[in-house]
Order: sequence, then structure tokens, then C-alpha cells
Amino acid sequence: MRPAALLEFSRIGFMNMLAFRLRYYTGVITYLINVTVYYFIWQAIYAAEPDYAGLTFPQMVTYVAIGWIIRSMYFNNIDSQMASDILEGKISMIMLKPVSVQWSYIARAVGESAFRLLLLTAPTALVIAAIFPVEPPASAAHFGAFLLALAASIFLVASMNFIVGSCAVSLKSILGLLRAKFWMQELLSGLLVPVTVFPSPLREISGLLPFQHIGFTPMMIYLGKLSWPEIGKAFALEWFWVVFLIGFGAWFWALLSRRITIHGG
Amino acid sequence: MPGIVEVEDLVKEFRAFERREGLLGALADLFSRQYRTVRAVDRISFEIRPGEMVGYIGPNGAGKSTTIKMLTGILVASGGTIRANGYIPWKERTKYASTIGVVFGQRTQLWWDIAVVESFQLLRKIYNVSESDYKTRMKRFDEILELGRYLHTPVRKLSLGERMRCDVAAALLHSPPLVFLDEPTIGLDIVAKEHIRQFLKDVNHHSGTTILLTTHDLSDIEELCPRLMIIDHGRLLFDGGLKELKRLFWRDSALKVDLKDREEADRLGALELDGVEKQRLDDMSYRLRFPRDQWTAAGVIRRVVNAAEVRDIVIEEQSIEEVVKRIYLGEMFQESRP
Repeated sequence: MRPAALLEFSRIGFMNMLAFRLRYYTGVITYLINVTVYYFIWQAIYAAEPDYAGLTFPQMVTYVAIGWIIRSMYFNNIDSQMASDILEGKISMIMLKPVSVQWSYIARAVGESAFRLLLLTAPTALVIAAIFPVEPPASAAHFGAFLLALAASIFLVASMNFIVGSCAVSLKSILGLLRAKFWMQELLSGLLVPVTVFPSPLREISGLLPFQHIGFTPMMIYLGKLSWPEIGKAFALEWFWVVFLIGFGAWFWALLSRRITIHGG
Repeated sequence: MPGIVEVEDLVKEFRAFERREGLLGALADLFSRQYRTVRAVDRISFEIRPGEMVGYIGPNGAGKSTTIKMLTGILVASGGTIRANGYIPWKERTKYASTIGVVFGQRTQLWWDIAVVESFQLLRKIYNVSESDYKTRMKRFDEILELGRYLHTPVRKLSLGERMRCDVAAALLHSPPLVFLDEPTIGLDIVAKEHIRQFLKDVNHHSGTTILLTTHDLSDIEELCPRLMIIDHGRLLFDGGLKELKRLFWRDSALKVDLKDREEADRLGALELDGVEKQRLDDMSYRLRFPRDQWTAAGVIRRVVNAAEVRDIVIEEQSIEEVVKRIYLGEMFQESRP
């Protein structure tokens, strides 16, 4: 697919969000409430155990705050958008154009993230940083690495959501699957609790899955919990997963789209 | 000249899940499902030459849209082949897609929440249309379709007629040699219909664009398409010109006869005319329907005039609607398949 066309799809993703911008002003409040709730939960836990999960209390507050701030950016809805496009037959609109279905959705997700960064993440970060004692990144270099890891997060979420959305081709109702994926992602990305507090088998399993690279890895980089060789390894793993998931998604879609049925009209 | 579209033995089957009745049936469905194979398109073959305008008609559920979806590469055929613009649509979808234009009347191809012009800009980039081509084409589209007034409105706020004009323009923005339109005039008022028809004529005439369109409005066919194909139950029933259709299926003619008074009408009613179906319309008039292989209009008129005093006779041309309606009803195909 031509880069100019990809860019246009991103722009459409951005513009589409713009049509509903009001929704995002309330989003700031939602994120603030989430961080507040977790702040008090962790405060109670740290009152009993001052050095939990290898993080100090200020580090944990930072973890929670940054975790939600970056989630406000990498999160997208393309799985449910795709599912409704497929179930309502609107997918034909993309299939009639000389573009890759997968890349058009991924590009749209990137556009959405750009929108979220400006209209949701930035104000959320300002408000949260003003209220809670959020620590600065470990160093400027760590912050740079953190941003690079975040770029991978966007593609990880987008490519996973594309795969989940594709399943709508053979499912009549996809809501359950979307829900399951949503909570699996919230939990395993380390958004709710750091991956390090998982009990042993779950922690090992999580290490074999791509989810923890969405949130946990960037945050560990931000907090300076990873050495530079470890950061290098984490990058390699993250981008391996991105390439793998995009490759798998392309194959999966090629397989499923043969079975697509678009009724009516 | 080789066909721009070549379709051979095209088949599409869907597997439909059959639900059993009642609670027990629903429970049984959980464990073993019964499927029924539905053949939506049944061994269709045809060829379209460059520059042709072809109407593709059939009653609801006949398989028109399914054929169009295979022709445009959205659906994969269960059997048979399609070659269009040199591609097998569903195998080389992205390459093929840049050489065709598609309008689905029931479903917009534009982005719902953003202004029309933004969609056009996106299409321009997708199809790699140069800025100057874009400008000249938009100007021409605007002349016939009058898009200018609502280019900056989001699609969801447009009326159906406005939306359809934008959709048709969008499908032709990259000047494709082959265009498919699935019910482009559905639900439109006369003015909007006229705009669309005029535009399609213009495109076909000036750019030699090959057009295949489905419709329920036969005046679309009469105005646009020298050739039509009729499909029902997935099978192609007729493929030829309008004139040929009439010649083949216009088997009866009708005369409307007004008589001088009631007495004369009764006299005509008593007249013996073998094979002519007489229908009394009111006190003083009759409709006489006669098979064209047995009678000529002149022959019937001569007999009628000799028998009763006639005030007026009108020869009723059978409309294309009438012919097609009877084909849909399955009246004329057992013995007269062309």
C-alpha cells in the first residue's frame, strides 16, 4: 500500500475522532478517577508492606499514573469497529478499494492514537501530574527509549485488535470475544497490576505472550528498572511481536475473507 | 474484440443454518446443526465487451447482488471463473480494485462522519489521481451532478439523492474503464434519477466506460442499456437487446375497442373470435387480447368493424414492465427459453 494512502487512512482515523471530540473531554475525568482509585488501593497495600513488587510507593504511584496515561494513547477500538463493519457489511467499502484491509485498519488506529495523544493523553497527563506525585523518567535516554517502546505498543494493540476483529467473519456475535480480549489485555499488559506481582505460572505464561510489551515494558523502561542490555532485548521482543502479529493477521485475514458473506444490498 | 468481462459457469453457494422449531429444537441446535446449501448463483455465463452498457435485472433475491459482489472481488465464487480487466477479481483484489468503480445503492462507499470532500481527497490518494486530473474531473462531475453545494457536508447529513450523486462521482473519480452499479437509482426522485442517468450516459459516451448496472426501475434500462440480462433463482434467463426481448416474449397484443353504444358492445361480445380473449371494461368498451402468431391487429380490427359499430380503437403496446413481470412470475420460460 502506498505511504500517501496510508497517511490518508490515518488522517481519516483522526478526522473521525474529531467528529466526536466531546466524548474525549469526559475521558480525562474517567482516567483521573481510575488513577485515583488505584492510588488509594496501593496506599493501603503499601501501609502494610512498604516494598511491594520491587517498587517503592512513589514508584508505584508513577507506575499507575503513567500506565493510565499511556493507555489513553495506545488504546483503540478497531476490533469492535471491524466487527461491526463485517457484521453490517460495511467491510465491502474497504474491500472495493485497492488497499490492504489490514493496513487500512492499522493506519486508522495510528491516526486515532495521534488524536488521542493531542486531545486525551496530553490533558490527562497534565491533570494527573498536577494532582499526584508522579516521578520523572529515570533519565532523558530512558525517556527516549520509553517513547520508542510506546510506538511499538500502538502497533501491538492495533495488530492484535485486527486479528480479534477478523473473527467476526465466522462468528455471529463477537461481543464475548471482544470482552475477553479487553480484560486479558488490561490485565496482562500490566495496567491493573505490575506483571511482577502475578503468581508464578501466570508470570511465566505472560512472559511468553505479547501483552506485557504493551504497557509493562515501556513503564519498566520509564522507571529505569531495566538495564540497557535488557532494554535492547525488550525492544527486539516487542518488534518481533509486532512483525509476527501483523504477519499472522495478514494470513488470518486472507484465510477468513474467503468465507465472508455480505447479505443484503 | 475480447470481452472486458468474461464469466463462465459462475456458481455461488451459501451454507444456511436451519433452526429447528421450539425450545427442544433450539436445544438440539446447540449440539448438532443442520445446514442447507443455498445456490444463489447457478452456472451463469456471459461476456461484456468494452464500452457496453448492460442492465442486469431480476426480482429480489434472484442473485443479482451476489453476482456483482463476485464481479467486484468481495465474494469468492464457489465455482466457475470470472476474468475482468484481465484479473480474477477475488484473487488479485487490490490490483483489480484500482481498475474498477463500484456503487452500491444501498450502502455508501463514503466515510459517514466526515465531509464529502474529505472522502474525495482520500480516494484521490488511494487511487493516485493527480491534482490536475482531480480538478478537471470534479469540475465535470459538478456540471452534471451538481455536487458543489454539499461537498462540505458530512455524508450522514445528506439526503439519499445527494448521497447517491456523491457516491457515483466517487466511484468514477479514478476514471476506471469498468464500472458496476448495484441499484444506483433505488429510492431516488425523478430529478436525482435523471442526474445519475445523464451522468452515466456521459461517462459511457465520452470515456467509453463499460457499465454493468442492476436496477428494479426498467426505465433505467430503456434509457441507458441497449442490452439486458435477466436473472432469476440464480439462473440467467435472458441475455440480449430490448427489442429481442420484446420479439421473443411479446406474444400477445391487445386492442381497446370503444363502441357506439351498449347494444353494439353486446354485439361484439357475441362475436365469435377464435383464440381472442375478450374482457369487458365497461358498458361500451372491450379489451381484446390476441396471440400474435394467430392474429394480426389488422385482422382482428377487420372482424370487429364488420360486426359492430366502432367509435375508437387503440392498439395497446405491451410495456417492458409487463414482459418482465411475466418473466419473473415464471409464466413464459418453460417452452420459450431462447
